[in-house]
Amino acid sequence: MDRLSKKYLRARKIPSTACSGCGLGQCHKALVLALDELEYEVNDVVWGTSIGCAGRQTFATWQGDNFAGTHGRVYAIARGLRLAIPPKMKIILTVGDGDAFGIGFNHLLHAARSNAQMTVLVCDNLGYQSTGGQFGWTTPQGIVTDSSPYGMSEPNWVQPEMDVLAMLKAAGATFLARHVSMDGVALVKSLKKAVQNNGFSLVHTVFPCTTNFAKNALGSRNAVNIFRWVKDHAAPMGEEKHNTLWRTGIYHDASNSRPEFSAALRDSVAEIQRRYQHEGSH
Amino acid sequence: MKRFLETGNFAITEGAIMAGCRLFAGYPITPATEIAEAMSKNLPKVGGYYIQAEDECGAMHMAVGAAAGGMKTMTATSGPGFILYADPYGWAIGCEIPIVVLNSQRVGPVSGITGAPGQGEFYNARYPTQGGNYETIVLAPNSAQEAMELTVEAFYLSERFRTPVTILADQLVTDGLEDISIPETDEEKEAMGLRFMDRKVHMGPDFYPATDEIDLPPTVLGKNTGAMCSDWTPTEEGYDIETVEAHHKPSYRMIYKIRNHTDVIARHETLFLDDDPDIIVVSFGTASRTVKTAVKKAREKGLKIGMIRPISLWPFPDELFNKKSTYLSVELDYDGQMVREVERAMPCDSDIHFFGKCGELPTVAELHEIFDKLLKNEPLKPEGWEKEVW
Repeated sequence: MDRLSKKYLRARKIPSTACSGCGLGQCHKALVLALDELEYEVNDVVWGTSIGCAGRQTFATWQGDNFAGTHGRVYAIARGLRLAIPPKMKIILTVGDGDAFGIGFNHLLHAARSNAQMTVLVCDNLGYQSTGGQFGWTTPQGIVTDSSPYGMSEPNWVQPEMDVLAMLKAAGATFLARHVSMDGVALVKSLKKAVQNNGFSLVHTVFPCTTNFAKNALGSRNAVNIFRWVKDHAAPMGEEKHNTLWRTGIYHDASNSRPEFSAALRDSVAEIQRRYQHEGSH
Repeated sequence: MKRFLETGNFAITEGAIMAGCRLFAGYPITPATEIAEAMSKNLPKVGGYYIQAEDECGAMHMAVGAAAGGMKTMTATSGPGFILYADPYGWAIGCEIPIVVLNSQRVGPVSGITGAPGQGEFYNARYPTQGGNYETIVLAPNSAQEAMELTVEAFYLSERFRTPVTILADQLVTDGLEDISIPETDEEKEAMGLRFMDRKVHMGPDFYPATDEIDLPPTVLGKNTGAMCSDWTPTEEGYDIETVEAHHKPSYRMIYKIRNHTDVIARHETLFLDDDPDIIVVSFGTASRTVKTAVKKAREKGLKIGMIRPISLWPFPDELFNKKSTYLSVELDYDGQMVREVERAMPCDSDIHFFGKCGELPTVAELHEIFDKLLKNEPLKPEGWEKEVW
């Protein structure tokens, strides 16, 4: 990652503050690779992050402008910011599963409804790991966590009949994909499409947490075990196996099919202003 | 000068647009809804944006987000929405983002009575978010005209101090129909004492100096300055850090940039304080209007009664309470929130008493009865109350 980190990232934030063996770096790298392949410059992006492992570890890594928002609210912050910054600048958000699908879900749905340009990379470590490892809204059933010591009994939002991506599609999102962090080229490809959509894009990416999730769920912090476990439970859509938890690939691509939130509002305001100036004061 | 017979909500909108507000994000709530409505109508005419959010928490985050992108922005609500601002309010304080917040207080707690005035957010406005380590700027108008003027002032102060400013109004200020003068020319604006400041951009890459300096341009995202702002304890560059030593610097700044410059903020109205009055009545917001009438009429009767009305409510103007007297705090709440501040600020050989109503104003007759009792050293037992509260 030397070339990419020199080009895009801040030296102070290398090496990453993530735990040894954490899969978050794979998500982070895939996103930077996607931006590089799209030939984006540092100044083309405002990078926002949130609370938790995914937010804290990626904050202020980008050489350009950065913000870290309050827990679950970055989608609302981004909608306001979207109107203030130049239309061609991209807002990219690296957030966690708790942030997007828990505390921030209402804001996320409304960001999707309005189709505000933001590329949301949900880095999913299957629960609340920075607080020690409690279950979340994507924690697979039966999994032991610090707050589900008898096994996760509640359903979750990656089960096929109640997939969070289906909800986001229904809410108006124009690009949706799911991956695991070791998907490599496929993940980069999805992220490139996500960034190119002038609208609301979300890429849900499961990554291995060696420290808390693996310790509770697999009884081991051995990175190889949890990386293999995540990979074994993922399969491309249409090639699902009996144990598949994450159906990977592009779930919904309606890129650039609907007006983008800030563009539509800018147009509408310009039209009202023209009409008002033409007709005079009322 | 344009003159209107209009509500405080209308006046606030006019003031905001005059001050350069170009984005309003809100959520409907009585009695501040009309601000959102007026903004949705008038902002587009000047090229501004109105966003209706999914909730108040989202609304203020949108407004702060746009302010972080360099726009002058505002949001408005009432008590039940103001508590949902806690999250973004803290973010704006920590990221030093200028923004104006209006709270039209109604009767609480919780939903309470929607269409009646209260003053239950006296302390809530001082401590709008968790964590401490900050001062807040709060301005309290008592009329539609003053609400307009203080809206302009709030934008001015928010830019100079790089911090949110709250206008703490109440239902009667925002819903009340009053005569309003809106200045049009620069001369008229100056004559009214209105102050303006454009948004400037801190060119970075550092985030803040560990000093109490004001008049520093805020960090703005999207200007390619390498800006960093976050909810974490920041280093001076803007990186997140978790050491107690590093936390001293931003804490010092967030407290003392305001505490050491209260002269820029301070505003008040006083009446009849020169002859060491027997009673000094303290009130703010709409309550102060009947108080003022009551005090003037008492003077006509020869009673030595004075009045203090803090307009800049926070930082609390301790310096106004320098006379030994019998103080009477008149508030639109039953729990006597301002009593504690007056008691803290007044000379220690003074007395403090409280008269509270909520949802309605104290009448001049009621206040005169209270003055008489105080002058005769009789207890102020409120009707239906088992014992005197203060």
